[in-house]
Amino acid sequence: MEIISNNLEKDKKDMRKVWEKIGDYFRANSIWMMWYCTGCGAIEMPPTMTSRFDMEQLGMGPMATPRQADVLLITGYLSAKTLRRVIYSYEQMQDPKYVIGFGSCTINGGIYYDSYATMKQLDHYLPVDLYIAGCMPRPEAVMNGFDTLISMIKKGEAKGWKHYQENYDWYHENQLHSLGEVYVKDEFHE
Amino acid sequence: MLKMNSMNSIYENLNSKFNILSVDYPDDMQMAIDLEEKDIHTVLAYLKSDGYTQLSILTCVDWLKEGVLQLVYVIFNWDSGIHILVRTKLDRDKPLFRTVMEIYPGAEFYERDVHEFFGVEFEGNERSYKHLFLELWDAEPPMRKDFDTQAYSDKKYAPREYKSKFISEKGGEK
Amino acid sequence: MKEVKLFLGPQHPGMHGNYSVHMYVDGDIIKKANPMPGMLHRGFEKLMERRYWMGNIALIPRICVVEPDINEMVYAMGVEKLAKIEVPERAHWIRMIILELARLAIHLMSFGGIGGPTGLYTASYWSVADRDLILDIFEKITGARVYHMYIVAGGVRKDLPKGIEEEIIKFLDYIETRFPEYEELILKNPIIHARLKDNILLPKEVVHELGVTGIGMRSAFNKANDIRKVKPYARYDQVEFDVPFGPYSDAYTRVSYKLIEMKQSVRIIRQSLEKMPKEGPVRVSYSTGNAIRWTVPSGMVYPVIESSRGEYGYLMVSDGSDKPYRIAVRGASYPQGLLGVEKYLPGHRIDDASIWMATMDVCAPEIDR
Repeated sequence: MEIISNNLEKDKKDMRKVWEKIGDYFRANSIWMMWYCTGCGAIEMPPTMTSRFDMEQLGMGPMATPRQADVLLITGYLSAKTLRRVIYSYEQMQDPKYVIGFGSCTINGGIYYDSYATMKQLDHYLPVDLYIAGCMPRPEAVMNGFDTLISMIKKGEAKGWKHYQENYDWYHENQLHSLGEVYVKDEFHE
Repeated sequence: MLKMNSMNSIYENLNSKFNILSVDYPDDMQMAIDLEEKDIHTVLAYLKSDGYTQLSILTCVDWLKEGVLQLVYVIFNWDSGIHILVRTKLDRDKPLFRTVMEIYPGAEFYERDVHEFFGVEFEGNERSYKHLFLELWDAEPPMRKDFDTQAYSDKKYAPREYKSKFISEKGGEK
Repeated sequence: MKEVKLFLGPQHPGMHGNYSVHMYVDGDIIKKANPMPGMLHRGFEKLMERRYWMGNIALIPRICVVEPDINEMVYAMGVEKLAKIEVPERAHWIRMIILELARLAIHLMSFGGIGGPTGLYTASYWSVADRDLILDIFEKITGARVYHMYIVAGGVRKDLPKGIEEEIIKFLDYIETRFPEYEELILKNPIIHARLKDNILLPKEVVHELGVTGIGMRSAFNKANDIRKVKPYARYDQVEFDVPFGPYSDAYTRVSYKLIEMKQSVRIIRQSLEKMPKEGPVRVSYSTGNAIRWTVPSGMVYPVIESSRGEYGYLMVSDGSDKPYRIAVRGASYPQGLLGVEKYLPGHRIDDASIWMATMDVCAPEIDR
């Protein structure tokens, strides 16, 4: 945890170049969200995405492939099996990329704190830019979270992806400790 | 009362043909029978031909104190609406049983489930040795009573550390 | 001829939840398909053994994310049967209203689900917005949108709030005006006809082999195989409703049955509002002494109810202590989600795989638990 907190101190200063600032400004107004329902919280995504709460008013839309997506939502608990796939998906995404953790399960394990299958804190394995609290967060909270993410991108505060590059060893060690190996097998076992 | 009578007649019919160790009526339209290991297949085959065409669930209960694993086959008759719980006990240290896939093909994945979570081996169900839900599992079968999920979780997945200062300043401890 | 290995899901717009199918394809024909569940495995059955009977009420709705109320109902029924509790009359009717509202909600959600694989996104936009009106009613009754923890052993947690009856009736009137529009939008749509008609057939023998229940079974068997009719729980024996059934099961029939079931749910809720006792207790206390650590007499029981996907039940074992000894969950989509994918998808086209998932209502969280 120490590496992270040291970095946070250093990162308080805005070190971006002018063209990066311009890039971030435009990027913040058109975000593609990856279409991956990892847990319970995904059930509040359809109302957020469709006509009642209307995510598109923020310039956000769902995207089917990780290579074209900007933001990865971890919607709730993460089982060990999902985490392998999530790491795969995250590493396929192009920089800059952002991670949002949904609900109490990603923060401290939530209701599954003693389960043999689920992770207890997401930022141990992937850099999280923003947490949305709640079990599960309401669409209003999700919209509010997206709004915060947008302003964070504009200000240059959402730099999780840089942390991941700089502290890759630390993250990878944690991943290996909990997962054994990150390699994803197919079901045929051939 | 009529329901109870029909349940009784089902039991008497079964008892005249097979060796039933004990019977129980947990609910109306529901009957639980205990059988010896060797009788399970004949009874299930008989009951299937008698209208119990659906295997609702096959599952297992770990009785740690008695040292047995109890297999429970829940079968259902859609015409009469009667559930029968067919139960048998296996040795906990060496649980080995024969598959019922020939009678109920749908049992295949339930057997894989029971093998994965209880360690019961099913002869004839070749793929039951492959893990279905868990990936790279490195401990004993998790649903056994002596498996401590809290300890496993603490060992594998780091918990969040809260600063005690933060709690005493903002939280309930004052 | 060359076969290509393809992963459908878990990250895919056509997949319903975190679930994956691995397949070999030749051209666009599936040659071999293997299901890959377990991404949502949280070890519920183990966790339930570690919580008190009371504490489990918070845990169980999370087993099936889309339709949580059926879990609460099955759990409450099991405890009542083990402890021989008589539920007050009014509570039975309130439970029925909640369960049927939930059935409306999940069928609306599955209309949204059919929008993904067929590209008819208007359906998702309309039906998810209409579903939100039900969630608003739930919020007024129970205080929560998705996980209600409302149906508890011995009745329901608290009485209906004042004036909710009028609101439910207002909603029912509204949703009835929407049914013809859904028929126009979904069932009479040329896209849906082209994709769903005579596709993903489910013959009677296959139903037998897999053990499929619910809409899949009824559409193939030509018989009203519905738990609400076969062994009624709550007060389903005192209301009039029809169950759609037929001899020919293709994807289109199954979708159209969902609309019929929704109309019948509206009918049930209207009758329940009329027939339910206007006042009275809604909950009995199940034990004396400590309210949290109450015990349940030992026994083994298998309560079942009809979910939107079929027979849903728990095998509940108690050893007389303050925690359950074992609870096994029979997810209603277990057969069609695992064996069905493996045995039945080969021979179909790749893009029809997600139609199987949508019209058979494969619900990943209840398979994985």
